[in-house]
Amino acid sequence: MRLPKFEYVEPKSIEEACSILSDESSAKILAGGTDLLANMKHRVEVPSVLANIKRISGLDFIRQDNGAIRIGALTPLKRLYKTTLVTEKVPALSSAAASVGSYHHQTMGTLGGNLCQQNRCKYFNQSQWWRSAREPCFKAGGGICHVVNKKEICYSSYCGDMAPILLVMNAKVVLANKGDSREISLQSLFSGDGKTPLDTKKGEILTEIVIPEEALNSFSTYSKFANRESIDFPIVGAAIWSSVQRKEHRVSFTAVDRKPIRARNIESVLKGRDLSEEIVEEVAGLASKEAALVKSSNYAPSYKRRLMEGLLRSTLKEAMRRS
Amino acid sequence: MKQEIALNINGDTYELLVSPNQTLLEVLRDNLGLMGTKRGCDLGACGACTVLLKGEAYLSCLMLAMDAVDKEIVTIEGLGGRGNLDPLQSAFVEQGALQCGFCTPGMILTAKAMLSEEDHPTEDIIKKRMAGNLCRCTGYKKVIEALQSVSEQTAEEE
Repeated sequence: MRLPKFEYVEPKSIEEACSILSDESSAKILAGGTDLLANMKHRVEVPSVLANIKRISGLDFIRQDNGAIRIGALTPLKRLYKTTLVTEKVPALSSAAASVGSYHHQTMGTLGGNLCQQNRCKYFNQSQWWRSAREPCFKAGGGICHVVNKKEICYSSYCGDMAPILLVMNAKVVLANKGDSREISLQSLFSGDGKTPLDTKKGEILTEIVIPEEALNSFSTYSKFANRESIDFPIVGAAIWSSVQRKEHRVSFTAVDRKPIRARNIESVLKGRDLSEEIVEEVAGLASKEAALVKSSNYAPSYKRRLMEGLLRSTLKEAMRRS
Repeated sequence: MKQEIALNINGDTYELLVSPNQTLLEVLRDNLGLMGTKRGCDLGACGACTVLLKGEAYLSCLMLAMDAVDKEIVTIEGLGGRGNLDPLQSAFVEQGALQCGFCTPGMILTAKAMLSEEDHPTEDIIKKRMAGNLCRCTGYKKVIEALQSVSEQTAEEE
């Protein structure tokens, strides 16, 4: 499969990359390329310009700064489980990185790129030829959604493996824009619209991921069900963060909605309580109510609901054992 | 429009005219005739196109040729030839870790990258790291055994 034609540029600085993005409306940033280039081969994404930011220095780092762990957007996923600072302070982030795709994807793929990956859906993650049998959907530039017959909304699912664990740690992201930058919560990076999954302003580039110090000394874990255990997107993924001292437990899910979600209802039920077998059973039943599942993957919503429940139960029980 | 680039492949420098939309895999096979690197799924799911970039395992089907400039590239042709096989190649032959051989270049290069990073990988680690390299005929048991024998060999030498 050939890639579509595009103009290739190698900006020397983030400012230059931001101006390319704001000047050229269909320009895209190339980092690891494992998601973008596969989508381009399928003609799901056809950017006019590709700006390769890997030649820009200073975007690939892991450091602790005033207690918080700061990770550059271009840090390869593999480095998250090869760097002692991460494996010791946030082991759950290391194991989440090790669960992404294959060893090759972990070598090539970056943390920033993983967070900014495209949503997925069984109707458009196909070759152009396969898709041509149906009317093009919103995501492919048409005016219909084959999953849910509603106007103007693409119901593809966000299937990233790194977002849930960072969400429960209340991580923040830094977005650069022409010499300026702003720090927002990771949650507000996601728009909830499958067509444009990221809620960024024109010209903005994700440069840094910040894990606050308060998140570091509590138990957290990410767990997923996938078709092939070793190399696949999650059918459903769940992360929890649990603090015994603060009696606070945070839960998030991926691949169940148009964006990665925090399970706020479950969190409020768990707040102020110690984890026990009874409480785990009580909230496990609430898991499936956190997301309005649709048939955007090959797996039935009823099956995914059971997976959500099972993952929540097993991760919470793990937290109980560890504390 | 085509652009002039220089790629460092197996220790040689190649000056080439490539289109920005050519992947490294296309340039290796179509422009340079280095057919050892295989085109399998062409979407990053099978590992047959694996090459080494600065010693790390990369999928050449998901990498632009322009992006590989200034990086030392090693393909299976650069590893060793008749009478001068790399220990991994010898181990694959001795253990019978291949049948049709289509996946073998990718397998060997992924294994090479892994063994340079992990001193004495456990069977579990070997399986995890090799999971992105699919074989459709002989299976994986003998591949794992071949890797273990090379890893033990290097441990003995140390």
